[in-house]
Amino acid sequence: MEILRQIKYKPARVAGGYTDRILRVDLGSREISIEKLAPDFKDKYTGGRGYALKLIWDGTTGQTRYDSPENILVMASGPLGNEPGFPGTGKFIVGTISPMTDTFIDSNVGGHFGPLLKLAGFDALAVTGIAEKEVVILIDGDAHTIAIAEAPQYDKETDDGALSYSERLLKDINNGQYSDCLAAASAGKGALHARYGVVHSLYYDIRRHRIRAKQAGRGGTGTVMRTKGLKSIVVRSSLPKANGNNPVDKKGVRAAGRAMKQVISKADPTQLHLSAWGTTILSEYMDKFHIFPVKNYQYGQSPDSVKLFAHVFLDNYFSRRIPDGCYYGCNLACAKGAEKVALTRGPAAGRKVSIDGPEYETVGAVSCMGIFDPQFVMEYNWYCDQYGIDVISTGVTIAFFMECLERGFLTVDDIGYELKFGSITAANRCLHEIAGGRGFGKVVGRGVARGKKWVAKKYAARNKATEDKVMAELDKFGMEVKGLEFSMYITKESLAQQGGYGFALKGPQHDEAWLIFIDQVYQELPTLEDKAAALKWFPLIRTWFNATGLCKLHWIDVRNPEAAATDEPSKNLPTLAHYVDYLNATTGSHKSLQDILDDSERLYILQKLINLRQGKGTRESDQVPLRAMAPAFFNEYQSRAEYYDLWLGQNGGVKKLPTSPKLRHKMLIERRKRDYQQLCDAVYEQKGFTPKGIPRREIIAKFGLLDEEARRLINETGA
Amino acid sequence: MIVTIEFLGMQRTLTGADSIEMPITKKTSVDDALEYARDKYPQLELDEGMILVTVNQKIAPRDQALKADDAISFLPFISGG
Repeated sequence: MEILRQIKYKPARVAGGYTDRILRVDLGSREISIEKLAPDFKDKYTGGRGYALKLIWDGTTGQTRYDSPENILVMASGPLGNEPGFPGTGKFIVGTISPMTDTFIDSNVGGHFGPLLKLAGFDALAVTGIAEKEVVILIDGDAHTIAIAEAPQYDKETDDGALSYSERLLKDINNGQYSDCLAAASAGKGALHARYGVVHSLYYDIRRHRIRAKQAGRGGTGTVMRTKGLKSIVVRSSLPKANGNNPVDKKGVRAAGRAMKQVISKADPTQLHLSAWGTTILSEYMDKFHIFPVKNYQYGQSPDSVKLFAHVFLDNYFSRRIPDGCYYGCNLACAKGAEKVALTRGPAAGRKVSIDGPEYETVGAVSCMGIFDPQFVMEYNWYCDQYGIDVISTGVTIAFFMECLERGFLTVDDIGYELKFGSITAANRCLHEIAGGRGFGKVVGRGVARGKKWVAKKYAARNKATEDKVMAELDKFGMEVKGLEFSMYITKESLAQQGGYGFALKGPQHDEAWLIFIDQVYQELPTLEDKAAALKWFPLIRTWFNATGLCKLHWIDVRNPEAAATDEPSKNLPTLAHYVDYLNATTGSHKSLQDILDDSERLYILQKLINLRQGKGTRESDQVPLRAMAPAFFNEYQSRAEYYDLWLGQNGGVKKLPTSPKLRHKMLIERRKRDYQQLCDAVYEQKGFTPKGIPRREIIAKFGLLDEEARRLINETGA
Repeated sequence: MIVTIEFLGMQRTLTGADSIEMPITKKTSVDDALEYARDKYPQLELDEGMILVTVNQKIAPRDQALKADDAISFLPFISGG
């Protein structure tokens, strides 16, 4: 391996969860430097997403795009990542300016990379510049070296795969042995062709005796990585993982961790049982409540959905009785996997492969294409991973084009083949074309937002219509906001979750707020004010998880039995108390839950400022497609006409409903549109924003963020 | 009069059934359905604080009276990943 640049360094010791160091690597100039952070940096920006936001705010401009040399690819854990005594501490975030949204995106991912990066001496890695030729970065906390090396070449099949390349590299640089002292972040060739490339987090699983992968899946972080000419980043540290954070109060950490593990081991087996079934268990519940995104989110249910329920994967694919945590100490262990799955399609047909997943999102993405074949789910999962593309955006974008064909916006000639709902042959072909940058895949690889423009242009020219008029139709069912595709939940019947997606600063990904059940099923948010309050509180607490290096599932998907006796059971406050204890014991702080929420609000406002700067920060950017609010077309209305008529009777505000079903459909749409605008007003008020969705000057000042750039933005927008 | 108690996810595995039927009177409540399921399947953990009860996909208080053809489910808490 040819080393292009190498430095020696002395790894900083982790103390109280932090190293107070950022590793900066510029691939253009091949400069490697270590930045020592000022003492107040962590107080203001916490870690993880907070560090990424601050680096992006300071280091990029409104003109920065995903492929600009100054764009920064940040990888950062947080003060609470890296503690096997507490469950779910292997997370780190990958943050950057997105090729999908042109604004800040971050995606959180599990595995060992975040913890090992910290043990190697760094709270964050910030990569800038574009390499002249493809490179890898090697961070060796044992040898005390950091290097940029020319990406080694193996054989074509290995080199092209996001999984295979870094698997080989991890072995190659460790004398032919896998080790849990090494981990890699990796992007594949598909990320060069599609805007929604992922960053894989690869780690050695000592129970399965193989390299496993988790994904920072959303928003094209992998595309940024490959655009920089960076194929892989490997980090090594042999320092002990136990007490790796050197917490201020070890006993306190142990006590908090013990309490959390007890909650998980007691409650999870009687609730979702993620430890047995992983997140695939969600499919059945989503289908039951009309939330499964069947055929591009048209229908929430299908008689065929049962073919994709959790028991199918458990019985036929998942390896049983293997605790599948993606980091040490996690007893929720939801990272399910399968071994020796024979591929039947695509260029690797005939091979037997190990597959990490599927997660619920992969199953949902396949149902979105109208496909209900579990073997295809497995193969789609593996190919997306090996190519390094996002299962969600891939599925949603293909589904959008399937609907364009179905509704006559495109012809078979436009596509080159019959890309129709339910066709495995067509979906499979499209998947490989996307990854290879071939044929119609070149269009699909750009995502729904750009796809809409392409279709509008084509259709308008053919039919002598205006592009604006066609776009208005496509906007009804093109499932994206801010340029990012929706994650896999139907929101038509939950106004709160329409906002959960619409206001999400990165675009409609549910890690900012997932309120569907709380709203639609549990009915804990009956008023507009309740919904608005939830749309402030949940994004803040969820932001905190993304800033600290923690997995959210232990809090949000395992209800502490003690929560039932609290005023707001859905907040699961008894469990959050353990998290507050864990934070204070690790860092030596004396924070309350409210202090944590305040810390998060600073990060939230900073992210909003970045959105404003990038042109995605106003009310206009928070609008959701019609299908997110209501049945966009008559066929969707007809599929649940009885339910919708009942809803209109209760909420329509008229004594007598129109006799014509088409008029009732129209009335429903108008009512839902009005509700969403009322929600916007209530939420902006709650968050301290103007009716245009812009943070008020005083709230920016409150969090110490009113710097020159923020002043300029606020002056320009008139807030 | 009959109502249906549906078993989802893990409950289906534990009971070996998609659903069971339960005869009701005018006085039968959600709580009675819960007790009925507990008696029939002691292996089901249906403790307070661990599940929510829905009737026809809407959350239901324990004292709600059941009516013919209602569908009852015991839901775990789902709050998104």
